Amino acid sequence: MPKTEKQTLLSPELLARLERLELVSRKIFRGRMKGERRSKRKGQSVEFADFRNYVAGDDLRLIDWNLYARLDQLFLKLFLEEEDLHFFALIDASESMNFGDPTKLLVAKQLAAALGYIGMCRADRVSVTALGPHGRRAPVLRGRSSLWKMLDYLDSVTPGDDSNNVSLHDGVKDFSLRTAGTGVAVLISDLMDKSGYESALRMLIGRRMDVFVMHVLSPEEIDPPLRGDRKLIDIEDGDEAEITINAFVLEKYRDTVRQFIGTAKQFCSRRSIVYIPVRTDTPVETIVTKYLRERGVVR
Amino acid sequence: MNWISTLVPWQWGVLGLVPIGIVLLYFLKLRREPVEVPSTYLWSRTIEDLHVNSLLQRLRRSLLLFLQLLAVAIAAIALLRPGVRGETSGQDRTVFLLDSSASMRATDVDGGDDGGKDAGQSRFDVAKKLIAQEIDQMSDNQSAMLITFSDRPNTVQSFTSDRRRLRDALDRTEVTNFPTDILGALKAADGLANPRRTSEVGNMNDVQVAGAMPADLKIYSDGGFQPVTEFNLGNLIPTYVSIGSKDAKNLAITAFSAERNLENPGEVQAFATVANLGSQPVEATATLMMDGQFMDASSVSLDPSDQTGLSFAIESDEAVQLSLRLDVEDDLQTDNVAFAGLTPLRNVNVLVVTPGNTPLELGLQTSKSSKICKSEFVSPDYLQTDRYTLRAESGTDDLIIYDRCSPKQMPATNTFFIGSLPTAKQDAAADEKWSWASENSGVVLIDIDRTHPMMRYLELFSLLIFQGRAINGPVGSTELIGADVGPMLVLAPRDGFQDMVLGFPIITTDDDGTSGTNTNWYAERSWPVFMLNVLRYLAGAAEASGAPSYQPGQTVRVRLENAISDAVMVRNTGSDNAASEKLTPGPTGIVDIVGADSPGNYQIKTGDRLADLFAVNLFDPTESTLAVAPDIELGYEAVTATAGSVESRNEYWRILLVAMLGVLATEWWVYSRRVG
Repeated sequence: MPKTEKQTLLSPELLARLERLELVSRKIFRGRMKGERRSKRKGQSVEFADFRNYVAGDDLRLIDWNLYARLDQLFLKLFLEEEDLHFFALIDASESMNFGDPTKLLVAKQLAAALGYIGMCRADRVSVTALGPHGRRAPVLRGRSSLWKMLDYLDSVTPGDDSNNVSLHDGVKDFSLRTAGTGVAVLISDLMDKSGYESALRMLIGRRMDVFVMHVLSPEEIDPPLRGDRKLIDIEDGDEAEITINAFVLEKYRDTVRQFIGTAKQFCSRRSIVYIPVRTDTPVETIVTKYLRERGVVR
Repeated sequence: MNWISTLVPWQWGVLGLVPIGIVLLYFLKLRREPVEVPSTYLWSRTIEDLHVNSLLQRLRRSLLLFLQLLAVAIAAIALLRPGVRGETSGQDRTVFLLDSSASMRATDVDGGDDGGKDAGQSRFDVAKKLIAQEIDQMSDNQSAMLITFSDRPNTVQSFTSDRRRLRDALDRTEVTNFPTDILGALKAADGLANPRRTSEVGNMNDVQVAGAMPADLKIYSDGGFQPVTEFNLGNLIPTYVSIGSKDAKNLAITAFSAERNLENPGEVQAFATVANLGSQPVEATATLMMDGQFMDASSVSLDPSDQTGLSFAIESDEAVQLSLRLDVEDDLQTDNVAFAGLTPLRNVNVLVVTPGNTPLELGLQTSKSSKICKSEFVSPDYLQTDRYTLRAESGTDDLIIYDRCSPKQMPATNTFFIGSLPTAKQDAAADEKWSWASENSGVVLIDIDRTHPMMRYLELFSLLIFQGRAINGPVGSTELIGADVGPMLVLAPRDGFQDMVLGFPIITTDDDGTSGTNTNWYAERSWPVFMLNVLRYLAGAAEASGAPSYQPGQTVRVRLENAISDAVMVRNTGSDNAASEKLTPGPTGIVDIVGADSPGNYQIKTGDRLADLFAVNLFDPTESTLAVAPDIELGYEAVTATAGSVESRNEYWRILLVAMLGVLATEWWVYSRRVG
């Protein structure tokens, strides 16, 4: 894979800006390793959390001797533990994402890379993974130096591969089975799954993930430049639909798209999922530094 | 306002299937351009929403299809030639009376839709066109009848609702050269609309077998006929469609004849009357042609309703055919040419059966009479001979004069009886016989029919007549001289011949054989003139010099000599080609010629010999007067003219065709804009 293409995913300027950002989790998860985030777990940070009575076996180093001197009772001084965050970026790499200019998949990869990099900079545990068989090869990354590993992986994710054409449900199920633990999950997809996206999202919520949905749509999908008698071929499953496109049908289609987006939004908000619509003609930088900040994905 | 339906319902049904077929073809033929989309997921949902009324939605929103259907529909309607009926007929039955008389040949009409005066169009053509329009506008439940009339009616098509038959019948009609008599045509139309009772009026038990059928009577004419008074329109509702203009230009020859100068038989004098019967002053040249050769010419300049006489003198001993032609471009050409014929001067043969009659001999031997007459005097005994019988049956003589005697059987020729009566046939009815109306007595003449050619130039009131008897002639006889006791000179027809009877003898013979005069007529100047008249008109010398003229369409009766078995009629109508027609004379040598339809000189020839000659000319001022009558009078009811062009079919197919082209152009524009 040429280096230049990797660089197109994230420009140096963007990387510089991303370094100042931080992923936000609305929930506090238990991390696996010591990280930069406050944890529910009491541990060895500088931040005081609570006191408790000493019981036999406790680490004597945690006894608050000043309190013992005053009250003549043994108390343990508890500090908050700082842990890492598990960040999952799930990319829908199905054939339908290979549409538009730039393709939805490229935008999805850029978004995933950007978010992953933010996580890596903050010593979070980052897993950028494509849904489907590709996901099994996805590396778990930590630290800024893993950027190139992530980009390599992303490059290897290509559409048109039959193995990638799994439904959202199957892809998320596969991911859930592979991944233990909770964290922040960002699903980057066009949600165009004939079997529906709802079950996939439910599955993520069921895993107690803090779920974000980035709904990627190209302008050509929102307002197709089609007229006349056409035979529409589904690039994903080869399904054909004969249709005579005129102003009336087009208006009806736009209604359907609006309805589709609205339904997805409503579905997400009812389940505390942050829904972020993304148009592929919007620069990734703008999305990350503006939209995602506005919606509290990063800060 | 009423649409004209050119299709019956099932045909409309078939037409209605055409758009459906186009829609089906539209979907079958549809070539859809394949396009790849990320997912048909949203499209399927869109189509699902549309699915319930997808076909209608497609049609509703497919502008191209709509435009194509519109174009086809407009083209189909345009092909059906839609129109709006200008006016509907009041009745379901219409009688078209089409004037086919000579005046309908006039070309003073507008060319109808073509605008302006059309030189090729006659009044008759315009009338036919108007009737054709009427026929086109007829609905299926209307029926019509077509009658043409000139001097005779002709029912070209009896009542039918078959428009094609009516049109075919209309195409068959031709304009004639005949004068006009509408009464016969009215009677033909009347027969339908006004059924007669089956028995006498006043019989209460009598019912009309046929119901009255009111009908529209549409008369397409120029009104050039006499008012019809003895006619009751009854259920006929007349409409008079006047054809032609009130401002016509017409110069007509109203009379033309030629006679030989009896003094000089080689000199022929031709007389013509030319009248301006139009409304504009006309100048023209009258050209006299003899046997196709130019003979003489004269210029004519006439103001409206003026007339003038023309005379020409030419030299010819032979039989001649004269034609006079007015070289003028007016609205009626038929009356611009006239024909006259002359037989070569010939003698008439006269057989005189008399016991002795010096005045008669003197009368037949005057210098004038002897020029045209070859007379033979025989005694009454001659009537008994076989020679006479043969002579009488063969008709060798042009005239037989029976002086105080009668034959057993009437001869096949004209006769003149002096002081005796013609013999009646065995089976003759009482009113077909000659008889005496009074006993012998003194006679005073009181009346003379001066208009008759036989009595021309005669002054008879100074006559002294000692003994005479009044005469009862058979049916059809004409009284030429009336006396105090009754008719004294009577002329009567007999099988194409004429018998003339004089009620008093010229010479009487006593019982002892001495002759004496019964009248002083022989001493009067009128006697030789009378004898000359007898020779000219009864023996046929006058006919032999000037050919008679008949009106076109009249039946011409010609008497040929018995010996002639076949003859040929040569028709010379002024054009280059003379048409000939074979004639077959009857046993008495009489031929009825019915085909003399067009003006011209008609010669009857046997071999190279000219047997008879007559001319056919229009000579009818009524026909030649072209100004259209503003109204006509039918049975004391004035029918005002309606303009012939009111009821026309309003055509829309041209507009529709232009609209279709417009739609087609729009369709193309939309298509190219969509594709490009």
